[in-house]
Amino acid sequence: MKKKGKSLNGIFLLMAFIVFILVFTYLSLNLKNIDYGYDLQELREKEKALLEEVAILQARRATLLNLERVEDIVMNRLKYQYPEPHQFIKVFE
Amino acid sequence: MTMKTNKDERNRVFFLFIVIVIWALLIGSALVKVQVVDYNKNMAHVRKQRTRTFSLHPKRGAIYDSKGEVLAISVKAKSAFLSNKNKQESLQLFKRIRRKLRFHRDSNKNWSAVKDITRRINAGKSFIWIKRKLSDDEYEKLSKIEIAPESKSQLNFLEEYKRIYPQGAMAAHVLGGVGIDEQGLAGIEFELDSLIKGKGSTVEVLLDARKKRFSQEFLTRPVPGKDIYLTIDSAVQFFVERELKKTVLKYKAKSGAVIVMRSADGAILAMAGYPVYKPGAICDTSSWKQKNRPVSFLYHPGSTFKIVLAATALEKNVCYPQQVFNCYNGVFPVKNQTIYDDHPAQKLTFEEIIIHSSNIGAANIGLKLGKKRYYEGIKGFGFGAETGIRLPGEESGILRHVKNWSGVSVAFLAYGYELLVTPMQMVCAFNVPASGGYLVQPYVLARIAGEGPIKRKSARILSPSTSSRLTSIMSRVVKLGTGKKAQIEGIEIAGKTGTTKKMKGKGTQRKYYVSSFGGFFPARNPRVTIFVVIDEPSSAYYGGEVAAPLFRVIAQKLMVYLNIFPELYRENEVRI
Repeated sequence: MKKKGKSLNGIFLLMAFIVFILVFTYLSLNLKNIDYGYDLQELREKEKALLEEVAILQARRATLLNLERVEDIVMNRLKYQYPEPHQFIKVFE
Repeated sequence: MTMKTNKDERNRVFFLFIVIVIWALLIGSALVKVQVVDYNKNMAHVRKQRTRTFSLHPKRGAIYDSKGEVLAISVKAKSAFLSNKNKQESLQLFKRIRRKLRFHRDSNKNWSAVKDITRRINAGKSFIWIKRKLSDDEYEKLSKIEIAPESKSQLNFLEEYKRIYPQGAMAAHVLGGVGIDEQGLAGIEFELDSLIKGKGSTVEVLLDARKKRFSQEFLTRPVPGKDIYLTIDSAVQFFVERELKKTVLKYKAKSGAVIVMRSADGAILAMAGYPVYKPGAICDTSSWKQKNRPVSFLYHPGSTFKIVLAATALEKNVCYPQQVFNCYNGVFPVKNQTIYDDHPAQKLTFEEIIIHSSNIGAANIGLKLGKKRYYEGIKGFGFGAETGIRLPGEESGILRHVKNWSGVSVAFLAYGYELLVTPMQMVCAFNVPASGGYLVQPYVLARIAGEGPIKRKSARILSPSTSSRLTSIMSRVVKLGTGKKAQIEGIEIAGKTGTTKKMKGKGTQRKYYVSSFGGFFPARNPRVTIFVVIDEPSSAYYGGEVAAPLFRVIAQKLMVYLNIFPELYRENEVRI
């Protein structure tokens, strides 16, 4: 009788342990999932911000390469001139 | 004794078991009530507490030139608005804003905005735009305004997309422009609006207890605006625009247009009109400036149209280059009309008629060709229909059906009157001999990012021998005839001049002209076809004097840019 009660207690303990493990695993997975959600959201925001920065930099680059501006620098500040046709040298193999 | 203890123990365990079962049942029933019976009600609460739904505006796709340089791009910008909950506070706050943004009485536009905002504040509107799409400088100034947190009226900012055209006014007529809500208003921005604009989306965001986002789900999927690549080459466009402007100003002309086309496939490398405007300020631009002249300027082509006549006559074997025509010493009566030549001649060959641009000679070729064959030829060159370049505002020109031609129509049409054309139609016609006899469809849209190649149309309308004979005649126009000022040393250029008298109603004393020149080079292996038209030049008006020099300047620049080496400078060649 005593032996039977002891073995029942053991089974209860084992089951409680298994239930605890299952609940713990489930909860930790859920919490991890939520953490990943936050990380993902943060990365999405970063991606968006970076894409915006790329667009701004592209626009800035294009503005700096504006041909009117470049020509002004080349002709007026650096004093370059357009070459005459006879000044060209054709190099070929 | 032992038996009694066991029984007590068993009772206690049983009692504990019953308590746990009842507790579990209570919890279970509560859960069933919350999750099953009141499911809908509770879920609605949950959604309200932890979800937010946002509408996202799509980002407009960028526009690039053929080398990948940005022509138009959208970036985020702040827009300022006023939350008006107290009129007095709002008026005070708006005074401070005005000072920061320098809204003065001297600027009409700003002053009307001030009056409008003040009227809205007084009318008690709760949401009032102050200024949309602020510059970085303006945003910095406004964000520094300190407002007491307890104030009922607040200055707030919203993020919106702003269209930027980094090249300023360059290629304005091709690009067009967008309105305040990023909707395409003109040019390629309008034509491909649905493609570039994309579609907005609705997104549901999950928030935690601190209202921090931790997940999101699209309720409707966004369709981002597509990037598009044009055939326009910024460098070519830049110097074409600059040279066109110089010519228009030099001859005090009303307007002008130049088109540069790649001969082989009809890709438009540059397409310039003058006057120009800034695409970023399209809303403040008059329709006169917005007009895309290369595709919408209608005019009588004049003598440039003689290439269509010559091509048709040669193709139909009606004439041959050495055939002699009577040119009636400069005065030729046709029915009740008279045709004159500026440079009278008694007799000219077919070739000389084109080289020296004799109207009487052309009229005689036309009469020999006949109405039907000439009409078929003109239609074959694509006149009277849109070219299919896909730009808004393109005109199809006016070409009356042969049934409606009068007795003198064929003679007048022979030297480019009695029909209206656009510069785009003319560049396509000049490109026929350049491409070996094909009428190719012009295009500015090279490709759409993420999509396959775009199909183009082309049709042979001249045989290779006719193209070659026509090219020879056109080369002699530049060497010996009216187009001498388009000549470049060491490069064979084929072209034709045109000077048209404009009809400006009866009683007008002053005479108005349209000067034009079309051509391609190098004549024997054409790389580029160019068409130039100057409307109402003042100090000179012959196509050979006004338009041909502009052609030459553009061709010289293109030679350098496209590595077309003049044949004359053989001593400058170095073999490595």
